[in-house]
Amino acid sequence: MKIIDIALNDLLRSFRSAFTIGMAVVAPLMLTGLIYFAFGGLSGGDVSMNAMKVGVVNADALPADSPLDAPIGDNIRAMFFDESVESWIEARDYPDEAAARAAVNAQEIGVAVIVPADLSASLLSDEIDAQVTIISDPTLTIAPAVVQDMVTMMLDGVSGGGIAIQTIMERQQANGIQPDPAQIPGWVTRYTDWYREFQRDLFHRPEKAALVLTAPSAGETESADPIQQMMGLTMAGQMIFFAFFTGAYAMMSILREDEEGTLARLFTTPTERANILAGKFLAVVLTVTLQGIVLMTAGHYAFGIAWGQPASVALAALGQVLAASGLGVLLISFVKTSKQGGPVLGGGLTALGMLGGLFTANIPGGMPAAFQMLANFTPQGWVLKGWKLSLAGAVPADLLLPFAVALALGVAMFAFGAVMFKKRYS
Amino acid sequence: MNAIEVRHLKKSFGELQAVQGVAFAAEKGEILSLLGPNGAGKSTTISMLSGLLAPNDGDAAIMGHSIRTEPEAAKASLGVVPQDIALYPDLSARENLVFWGKMYGLRGAALKTRVDEVLDIIGLRDRQKDAVGKFSGGMKRRVNIGAALLHKPQVVIMDEPTVGIDPQSRRHILDNVKELNRQGMTVLYTTHYMEEAAELSDHIAIMDSGKVIAYGTHDELIKLVNGQTRIDLTLNVEGADVLDAWKVVEGVNGIDSTDGVVTVLVSDSNLVLPRLFEAAGKLGARITSVDIQEPNLETVFLHLTGRALRD
Repeated sequence: MKIIDIALNDLLRSFRSAFTIGMAVVAPLMLTGLIYFAFGGLSGGDVSMNAMKVGVVNADALPADSPLDAPIGDNIRAMFFDESVESWIEARDYPDEAAARAAVNAQEIGVAVIVPADLSASLLSDEIDAQVTIISDPTLTIAPAVVQDMVTMMLDGVSGGGIAIQTIMERQQANGIQPDPAQIPGWVTRYTDWYREFQRDLFHRPEKAALVLTAPSAGETESADPIQQMMGLTMAGQMIFFAFFTGAYAMMSILREDEEGTLARLFTTPTERANILAGKFLAVVLTVTLQGIVLMTAGHYAFGIAWGQPASVALAALGQVLAASGLGVLLISFVKTSKQGGPVLGGGLTALGMLGGLFTANIPGGMPAAFQMLANFTPQGWVLKGWKLSLAGAVPADLLLPFAVALALGVAMFAFGAVMFKKRYS
Repeated sequence: MNAIEVRHLKKSFGELQAVQGVAFAAEKGEILSLLGPNGAGKSTTISMLSGLLAPNDGDAAIMGHSIRTEPEAAKASLGVVPQDIALYPDLSARENLVFWGKMYGLRGAALKTRVDEVLDIIGLRDRQKDAVGKFSGGMKRRVNIGAALLHKPQVVIMDEPTVGIDPQSRRHILDNVKELNRQGMTVLYTTHYMEEAAELSDHIAIMDSGKVIAYGTHDELIKLVNGQTRIDLTLNVEGADVLDAWKVVEGVNGIDSTDGVVTVLVSDSNLVLPRLFEAAGKLGARITSVDIQEPNLETVFLHLTGRALRD
């Protein structure tokens, strides 16, 4: 009973400490909130950006003896009016370059694409040189770059088509077949259709294109809401970092009590020293547990984070509590005064948090292999692994390894720290 | 059975022998003061009695319970008032008392009733909900004492409870000690203020350098100096020369200098005082004040150690 009394007394004091509340709850929520708002949280979590306004001047025309059905400029124009991009590109036609420039100057559009009259001719003949001109609002950065990339890819594709047709003809000649010029428009049409489809797939259905952008790990499911996934990882990183901080700070209460004289006074009461230490340890576990519950609940309702299946969440959270409490007890067992505790908590836990990947959980593709390896040597790294799996919807069985490692590390650190404390206060 | 029985307690910290075979006893219902200068071993002795430090040798019993073999029973009979305030500043006076009451095994209605009683004893019922951190030094001292009384201990140890507080709070605490004693509690009171020891104590144990150098009632201790007189003098100059000269003056039995005041223990002040003036004059020094005092505990300490108690 006295163990619980001591633990509850510590909890009561923690909840009355503005510093503890600030570091345990307010700071992680505030930092996560900043990221949330930075990525569109103020608009209710909708991350859609404003559509780019693009003007197109297509003056291209087919030369007289062209094997093509339609000018290349039509393909460029069609690219900006395609239904697959209409959610993020708002395209308009302009009759000539002057009109397009005027629209850019008036900020009606951000970027204008000027396709010259002899573009198709230049691509079919080495003698003619024509260039597509892109005019942009100098205050914009992303939209001009995107438009330039799209035009470049299209022209690369056209060049690739010319090379492909040239290769077909050479192969036919090598095989003793005389190329039929009447077939060329058909080849060009087929190639153009394929290339247009390829581009659509590349941007909108990458799994059908040759390029695979990401490789989901085992048990990971695709999140329907990327901001939710991002916020989940961000919040998990913050929660883990501050859980370890809270664990150590809560354990530091024993040092503060030593300095305030209340620990010595406790020793004069008919309470066994082992029970006093047990009460202190229980306070750490309860504080970290309550902090986790508050942060998970707040994260769910404030940022829409789906933490995962209940059993998986329980395993990840339990691993966090045990590892954070264990490291807290261990770290503070080496510290003699609460003044020493500040640098240990600030420096030590930040360094371990960084090595554990807590601040880089959102980097696409993850950290370099060397850093991922280092994370395996920190309890924070294993706790983060558990949360990543839980956030991805993994079943409890998938979390057993990170949980077991967090549990083992937590128990080992706790036991070592407890022995040190018992030795110090015996 | 004595309430407190101390038998040859010893405690060392490395080379330092802080307590060297201390022995004394306090009967039930008496106030026993441990009087001595800072570093005499008083706090180390009561730290061993209250279970904070393990003795290297010897033993002690609180209400018959050995601190070595029955520490929990000994502690249950004991209330300890530490020298420094040992309370939670962010908790209210009541919350502090409730917590410490629980540590002594009180629960439920009994705890609530006893907390109310103790708040009345220390005179802070109307401030019970205020955080202790906002209290004055004297009020904190009263809560500090109250926390040791919750379980109605048979023995209370008070370690210099009046250090650094205003005269009014000091008076309140001394009256509290007397009242607790009237209620039957045995009090072990440590102090380096001889006035407190003289006012409160049934018996006084004078400690110096880790040993009890004298034990008895106030009157018994005064008899140790056997009619000697203490003279406090100040000089217009500071210097060891005058003190060295006075040490060899016939009739001087002890001499010490602290904070510009020279304390001299003499057999006959009428005879010795002119000699002191003469010796000082020979060295070009002038005596600027003389205070002749009746023998007191300070005189006793000076007689026993050759040093003033306030050292």
